Amino acid sequence: MKIGFIGLGIMGRPMALNLLKGGHQVAVWARRAESMQPLLDAGAVGAASPAAVAKGQDLVISMVADAPDVADVMRSVASAGNRGLVAVDMSTIAPAAARAIHAELAAAGVDFIDAPVSGGEVGAIAGSLAIMAGGSDAAFARAKPAFACMGKNIVHVGGPGAGQVTKAANQIVTGMGVLAVAEAMAFASKNGVDRGKVREALLGGFAYSKILENHGQRMLDRNFQPGFKSWMHEKDLNIVMQTAHELGLCLPGSAATAQMFNAMVGSGLGEEDSIAVLKLLESLSGQA
Amino acid sequence: MKVGFIGLGAMGRPMALHLHAAGQELHVWARRPQTCAGLPATVHATPAALGAACEVVFTIITSSADVEGVALGENGLIHGMAPGSVLVDCSTIAPDVARRIAGRLAERGIAMLDAPVSGGEQGAIAATLAIMAGGDAAVLERVRPLLETLGQRIVHVGPNGAGQVAKACNQMIMVAAIEAVAEAMHLARAAGVDPAKVKQALAGGSAGSRVLEIMGQRMVDRDFAAGIEARLHHKDFGLVLAAARQSGVPVALTASVAQQLNALMALGFGKDDTSSLLRVLEAA
Repeated sequence: MKIGFIGLGIMGRPMALNLLKGGHQVAVWARRAESMQPLLDAGAVGAASPAAVAKGQDLVISMVADAPDVADVMRSVASAGNRGLVAVDMSTIAPAAARAIHAELAAAGVDFIDAPVSGGEVGAIAGSLAIMAGGSDAAFARAKPAFACMGKNIVHVGGPGAGQVTKAANQIVTGMGVLAVAEAMAFASKNGVDRGKVREALLGGFAYSKILENHGQRMLDRNFQPGFKSWMHEKDLNIVMQTAHELGLCLPGSAATAQMFNAMVGSGLGEEDSIAVLKLLESLSGQA
Repeated sequence: MKVGFIGLGAMGRPMALHLHAAGQELHVWARRPQTCAGLPATVHATPAALGAACEVVFTIITSSADVEGVALGENGLIHGMAPGSVLVDCSTIAPDVARRIAGRLAERGIAMLDAPVSGGEQGAIAATLAIMAGGDAAVLERVRPLLETLGQRIVHVGPNGAGQVAKACNQMIMVAAIEAVAEAMHLARAAGVDPAKVKQALAGGSAGSRVLEIMGQRMVDRDFAAGIEARLHHKDFGLVLAAARQSGVPVALTASVAQQLNALMALGFGKDDTSSLLRVLEAA
């Protein structure tokens, strides 16, 4: 399949590389030209603009930072006049923003899918991302072979926006999950109990989770390298809280968690992994 | 003085009438012309036309987007107001939007104050509003005589946007206090104690406050007719949380109260008084 790829950051680069490995023809564009080089070295074709990436493709994929960026690149993609194109955005943006882009692109004859991912850089490199898609059946069927190169658990959740709703739900669970594990760690230590042993004991029981296992280990190692930067988790939780505000939805746990991440960004921990919320808890409880 | 007024709702109407009663020549514009019926004022076709006729223009409108539209949009005030004239925006909007509007108006030599108010409809009618102003101090002095016909406590908080920051702080404290009173009333009743007696006992002590007095009484009477429509506090909390996020400041209690306001909206109490936070607790 001929695939255009826009946005070659920490996530986008390995995802595009996996499409090449899967035997697809890939054209790329990135805001910074040097980001394109590793892809060109691996056999991709460089393009001069998002619109140029969209010309003659079966599929265009974007992986960029925020909703305005997605809207910008998708507007350019639509301007290429490639009617019948399927455009996939794999960034994390608000469901309402995804629905608006879907409607705008539909008017230009482009079928849009919101397909955010979970699994981080590790999952992107391994091609084992969880992909949660919203859009039409036909567009999903077209995009599926590309998804299969990048991810393992690929679910077509529903219509436009459904992928982003799912991702927001994912961020609720992971945000509170990281905070829960960090609080358990702080609780153990303040009680004079070895937090490593606590984690070990909990892994066999009902509190088992991937977050307890992986993030918990990194908390023990005090390895705060991202991973997933806490400012990005804060951004995603803001999408959750914004949506809750618009809908009239009471999310007390998410609200408390969002404020912890807000405090992380404000206190200079934004570039560290989201597990650095442990540091914040420790400093609030005199454990630093 | 020729004074314009836009936003003739529950707050704006009595404010406009006070200005007129103090001897100002009143000019008005409203999206729906029937809103202007019966006012002792010259009615204009657009904000720009109103702006061209006035030395000072007051606005008190619900949302940031609406204020921006009236001030800067097509046929907006900016296209009519003369250099040296003053826009006094009494709406509650985002501080960064207030700063942006002030910046654009300044390019045309038009001064602006963000001057949000506290005190509700009662305060507007009684001309006892608290007014928190952001902008140039000299501009505030020019319009102070007008503001004195609307309120009693007029404080220059700082430059443009500072008034809106103060109003955000006001909303944080007030609505959190309403939630605290609601929880106390709810606990009293659940524990088999008369909430009215509890309120009466507390009034003289350290927990005594205007919120306990007024909102507590509404809860005791189960009189949830607005006062201030709760949906406006819900809107304000969106602004407060966005401002906290921009500053990277954690606001744990505000975020928690915001969720109770979200529940209030979901339960259909948005057009009732914010004392309906008691009914949110009862629904759980």
